[in-house]
This record gives sequence, C-alpha cells and structure tokens, in this order.
Amino acid sequence: MAALGRQVSAWYHLIPLTWARMSRQTPQKKMTASSLCKLTTASTGGGLEEVPCVQDPACRTHLPQCLLEKQSAPVDGGPWEREEVITSLLDMGFSDVHVNELLTVQPGTHPQQVLDIVSELILLGVNPEPVCVALKKSPQLLKLPVMHMKKRSSYLRKLGLGEGKLRRVLHCCPEILTMRQRDIANTVRVLRDKCLFTVQQVTEILHRCPYVLREDPGELEYKFQYAYFRMGVKHADVVRTDFLQYSITKTRQRHTFLERLGRYQTPDKKGQTQVPNPLLRDILRVSEAEFLARTARSSAEEFEVFKKLLAREEEEEPENPMPGDKSTMHGTVPQHDDPAPSVSWAEGNCCEAGPSNVRLSVCENFRFKCLVFIIFD
Amino acid sequence: MAALVVRSVRDLLKRADFAKVPRRHRHKKKWAATEPKFPATRLALQNFDMTYSMQFGELWPSIRVSLLSEQKYGALVNNFGAWDHVSAELEQLNARDFVNKAHARGEQEPESSQTAAPSPASWACSPNLRCFTFTRGDVSRFPPARLGSLGVMDYYLMDAASLLPVLALGLQPGDTVLDLCAAPGGKTLALLQTGCCRNLAANDLSTSRTGRLQKILYSYVPQDIRDRSRVRVTSWDGRKWGELEGDTYDRVLVDVPCTTDRHSLHEEENNIFQRSRKKERQILPMLQVQLLAAGLLATKPGGYVVYSTCSLSHLQNEYVVQGAIELLANQYSIEVRVEDLSHFRKLFMDTFSFFPSCQVGELVIPNLMANFGPMYFCKMCRLT
Ligand SMILES: C[S@@+](CC[C@H](N)C(=O)[O-])C[C@H]1O[C@@H](n2cnc3c(N)ncnc32)[C@H](O)[C@@H]1O
Repeated sequence: MAALGRQVSAWYHLIPLTWARMSRQTPQKKMTASSLCKLTTASTGGGLEEVPCVQDPACRTHLPQCLLEKQSAPVDGGPWEREEVITSLLDMGFSDVHVNELLTVQPGTHPQQVLDIVSELILLGVNPEPVCVALKKSPQLLKLPVMHMKKRSSYLRKLGLGEGKLRRVLHCCPEILTMRQRDIANTVRVLRDKCLFTVQQVTEILHRCPYVLREDPGELEYKFQYAYFRMGVKHADVVRTDFLQYSITKTRQRHTFLERLGRYQTPDKKGQTQVPNPLLRDILRVSEAEFLARTARSSAEEFEVFKKLLAREEEEEPENPMPGDKSTMHGTVPQHDDPAPSVSWAEGNCCEAGPSNVRLSVCENFRFKCLVFIIFD
Repeated sequence: MAALVVRSVRDLLKRADFAKVPRRHRHKKKWAATEPKFPATRLALQNFDMTYSMQFGELWPSIRVSLLSEQKYGALVNNFGAWDHVSAELEQLNARDFVNKAHARGEQEPESSQTAAPSPASWACSPNLRCFTFTRGDVSRFPPARLGSLGVMDYYLMDAASLLPVLALGLQPGDTVLDLCAAPGGKTLALLQTGCCRNLAANDLSTSRTGRLQKILYSYVPQDIRDRSRVRVTSWDGRKWGELEGDTYDRVLVDVPCTTDRHSLHEEENNIFQRSRKKERQILPMLQVQLLAAGLLATKPGGYVVYSTCSLSHLQNEYVVQGAIELLANQYSIEVRVEDLSHFRKLFMDTFSFFPSCQVGELVIPNLMANFGPMYFCKMCRLT
C-alpha cells in the first residue's frame, strides 16, 4: 500500500495532469488509465484495516450548502460522453457495478463531473472500492466544484494526508473535503501550536482520528489537556491510543471513576505511580461492560450512580473561580523535536514541573477551562 | 496523584458550599493564596489507602470511591412539628421512612424464625423515629429544612446512618439518658424525638460546639418539651463522668471524637490529619477508651451503652470496645456484655451497606448505591 502511494504520487509529480483533464484527451487517457489500473488492482485489500470510527454526536459539521448547490446544474452528458466516462472509470479499476453506482448515486450529476471528482480521489491515493464507499455514503461530494476539489487535494497533501492515508479519513469524516479550509487549519493550528504536537503527529492524528475535524478546537485542546495534565498521557501516547477520538465525557467518567477507586494515578514528575495504571486501551477502547469487569472491577449499577453524581459535580462547579482561588506554579513546555512555542498551559497538579521560561498562573479550577497565562520571556 | 485527589476533594468541598449540603454544614472557606504542599485531605487519603486497603481488602475501592463522592442524607422528621404533614410531603418526593420500612420487615421475619428471635428487650429499637431517605441508587436531594407551621423546623438533614446508634440504644419511656459527646447535636435531637427521655444530659467538651447544639434544640424543640425532658447541656470533660455521676443513667450514648473519615477527605479546615495534629490523632484510641469507660461507669448496672464513631478504623472501633471492657473488668471489676446486633443489621439491610465481619458491633460502609456512613456502633449492657 505504501509502495503504491509512493508510486502514485511519484507518477503524479511526473505528469502534473489530473485525471479529469486527461480524460478529455482520449489517446493519452487510455494509456495512463490502464497503467494506474494495474497499480490499483495490485493493491486491493491494502491500506488501513477498517477501524470503525466512533462518531461523537456533539461534533459540528461543515457542509457549505452554497458551495454544493452552485454546481448542481442538472446537465446530463450525451450518450457519447457518458460512454467515455464509463470507460475511464473501468480503466481506473472500478467494476461495472461500481461504475453504475457512481453514476447513479447523485442523480442529475454530469458524468464528467463524477469522473473529475473520482479522479481527484484516486489521485489522493484512495482505491476504487473505498472511493465508492465514500461517495455512496456522502453523494453530495459529487457536487463539489472541481476547482475546490483540486485545491482541497493539494491542501490535504500538504497535511500529509495523500498517499493512501485519506481512505480512512474519508470514511469517517467526508466533510474533510467540503468543510471550510479555515476550519481545518484551525484544528491543525490548535494541535500544533496549543497542544504542541509535531507535524507528523498531527498528520497521524488526522489520519487515525478524523473526527477531531468535527470538534470545536477549544474542546479539542481541552481534551488534550485532560490527557496530558490530568491523566499524565504523553504526546506520543495520545496519538498512539487515539485518545482524541473518545468523547471527553466518557473519558472523564471512566478516568475519574478509576481514580476515586484508587486504580489510576497521575504519574509524578518522574512518570511513576504507586500502583500500576491500567492501559489506556483497557480504559477507553473497551466496552463499558468490559471496562467494569476487567479494569474498574466494579458493578454497572455503581457506575451508573457515579456518572449521575459526576455530572452533577460538573454542573455545580463554579464557572468563575473565586478571587484568591489561584495558585502559581512553574510548568515546562512538553518536549519534542519541534521548536516549542513560548506558550503553554498547566494545571494545578501538573505532572511536569521544572525550570522554564514559562510561568503559569493557574486558576484553581480543575476543569482548567479558565487557565490564565502569564508568560515571561 | 494525591494532588489530584486533593484537587477533586477540594473541588468537592467547594461544591459542598453550594446547594446540596444543609445550611448548617456550610461555612465560609478561607482560600489560601497558595495551597499547602501536603494538604491534610491528601494525607488522610494516603493514610486510608494504607490502613483500609489492608482492613477491607477488595471492598476498599468501592468504599473509597463512595467516600470521595457525594454522600446521601436522611431527613429526620421533627415530631414536635406537623410530622404527618411533613411525612406526606417527603413521600411525595419519593423518599421513604427507612425506620418504618425496617419495622415492617421485622414484623414479617419473626414468624419464619420464631425460635431464633432474640429477646425483644435487648434489641428493640428506640421508638417514634421517622427518617426519610431516597432508595438505593436514587441520588435525589432533600430541599433544605424549613420552619413549619408550629414554629419549629420540619426536619433535620443528617447522615441517615447516624440514626442507627440512637435506634440501637433502644430507649424506653421514662429513661434517664446521657449523651456524652453531643455536639453539634444530631443524635441528641433524635434522642429527644423518641419521647422517652425523662432526663437528658447532653454534654460536649467544646463550648463553641455546645453553642451549636443549643441552637439546634431551640429551632427544633419547643420550650415546654425542653423543660419537661429536663434537657441539660454541659461542657465538661466526658472522661470524668464516671466520677461525676456514676451508676446514674439507663442509657448512655458515647459518640466519640474520631478521624471523621468522610470529613477528613473533604475539608482542609480543622482536619485531624494536619501535620500539627499528629499527636492528637495518635492518642485518639486512648481518648476513646477513656470516654467509653466513663460512659459505662455512668450507666446503672443493667443499663445500656452505645459506642459509635464515623470512622472505618478497627483501631477506633472494635479495639476500643474491647479495650474499654477489659479496663472495666480489670480496674473496676465491672462486667460488660456486648450485645449481638446481627438481627439489627438484617432489619436495615435495604437501606445501608454493612461490613459483614465485625467482631463486635456493626459498621455501615459507604457504597455508591447507598452512600451513607461510615458509622460504627456497638451496644453494650453493663451487667454489674
Ligand atoms: C463525633 S462528635 C459528636 C457528634 C454528635 N454526637 C452528633 O451526633 O451531632 C464528637 C464530639 O466529642 C467532643 N469531645 C471531644 N473530646 C471530648 C471530651 N473529652 N469530653 C466530651 N466531649 C468531647 C467533640 O467536641 C465533638 O463535638
């Protein structure tokens, strides 16, 4: 799969023509189409295993309607043009059934438009099968202006989401093609500048947990802070465990429950705890029944009551910390290869502490929503 | 970790300043500019983790999470107010009188096991007490108590498990009663509610706390009743009671100062786990033995004593009982019998979660389904 990705992108660089354009130049088209066809069919079954994405209902979605509607002039190409599109699609490795589905999934779309969009996706390294799945799931993608699609493709490539990484993202979050670039950029900025993930880590996060794109960037940052400060989970583990994919409510419920049971401790400065913490996988990725039976070793009825109490605790938390309800502490900016921006956050019981150019004054509020930053540079 | 817990604990107590806690339990907090490095609440948790995980083994995590989460209350209906009306209102909220429920249960059971039933005298509950709780798993809260039509407050919110020592004392009409460590007065009020006290001596070493006790009596008990029951509030050292009034009382409640486990996890102020109070904490079991011994000495031969704490610590519970009984046997040649309360435990099983293996006495352990306690109580009969 990776090999295919490399080839496709190499090929893409060599011939800076998109499929859409080529498809209008019949003699050239056949050749390149069939060469691509070989590549794609060779890699059937490659790529990411299908991890079901958990959808957070609270996620926002961006589908700029105006953008979609402008394009929907119902011009059906003549039979001749349609034939040509079908041939091109077949050449790309789509089966007859797929081709039929693609051309009918969004009635009234010009076949050439279908071909243009599909070509872009193929060029982004998505295989025919997942292209079909994605377009069937979100047929409105077929209405996107081709120019927008091209711009978005190049932006996604810049984010490292070409080379076959897009399939999973598309599957979980087709909005990545339709939402405003500014919103994607915002999320990326929060991950990079506020949470201090490296470029590769950001790519990895977008790839593994595309739902972060739907989340409010502020909430996303808060979720990271919860992982980092409250639970003592380091950047690499946040990425590796798909931490950002789980809703903060669920994470907080399970983590707080374990903590009060005495089964989870935030690691100290040296990363040590008095009792071994359960694996994040056994906290977040398992079903509730499994979590209770194996990780918390508690009963469902007790957890139910606990969740109610916890929700009430949160509700009743004073939104504004009281005057004087503050403590000052030093915190270090989490380390990684990237030059660290001169801003960071901390929480009262931050697990990192040490000399730093960053001095943080932290409101004594363990939702750390009202963090106050005082930066001495 | 501990810091976290402290944070959450402090968070809890911050919340406690809001609606859920009866007004009298609230107090203004002084917010320190910087938090102490080792807050007492954190030291308390460390201490509990060490001792209680040994003591309770696999039960400890569930007790721990309960102690760190919101506790449940009971509404003790004021019999000096319009109690029937108030009871009806509480029923409307879907709360139930757990005492009444236990009695109903007790009436059914003896039929099936008549021979095994102990003699009623030793285990009869104090009468006339009505205390409403929300059933298992129901986390509703009671509205704050109000002034009723008869000029007294309609109910008193307390940890429902605190009523068990009073119930276990088994008051009978005409009893002369001593409440040795009475302030702030929840149990004193319950003792008065039974309508059994011919005399009630309520004592507490701390004058500021007896002041609170007086206030509660004023707002819950009409003047004539206070006079009729001859309620006498004093501020003496309870350890001296044996010398002051030996062989005097029919029933004595010895609700001693202890590590107040729940409180110690939530309140920084006045916390017995503060470093500066280490000595005081270490001699607690001794103080407790002395108070219980004094209580037993103040009891008439044939009279009953209930010893109680709101701690889970065996050292402050069973050991103190055994220590005091030994002390009385050795130094005063007075024989004391521990009463079996296992039937009592059965009666209240629906409402409270009991520790199944106390050597003497009974212990209510906090549980999320029924987040009352901790409350240890042991009933004794002074034989000679
Ligand atoms: C657990 S509290 C009693 C609570 C009370 N029974 C109630 O239900 O509201 C223990 C009390 O013992 C009091 N105390 C401490 N040492 C004492 C002593 N030597 N003699 C009498 N009372 C004492 C404390 O002032 C404290 O109010």
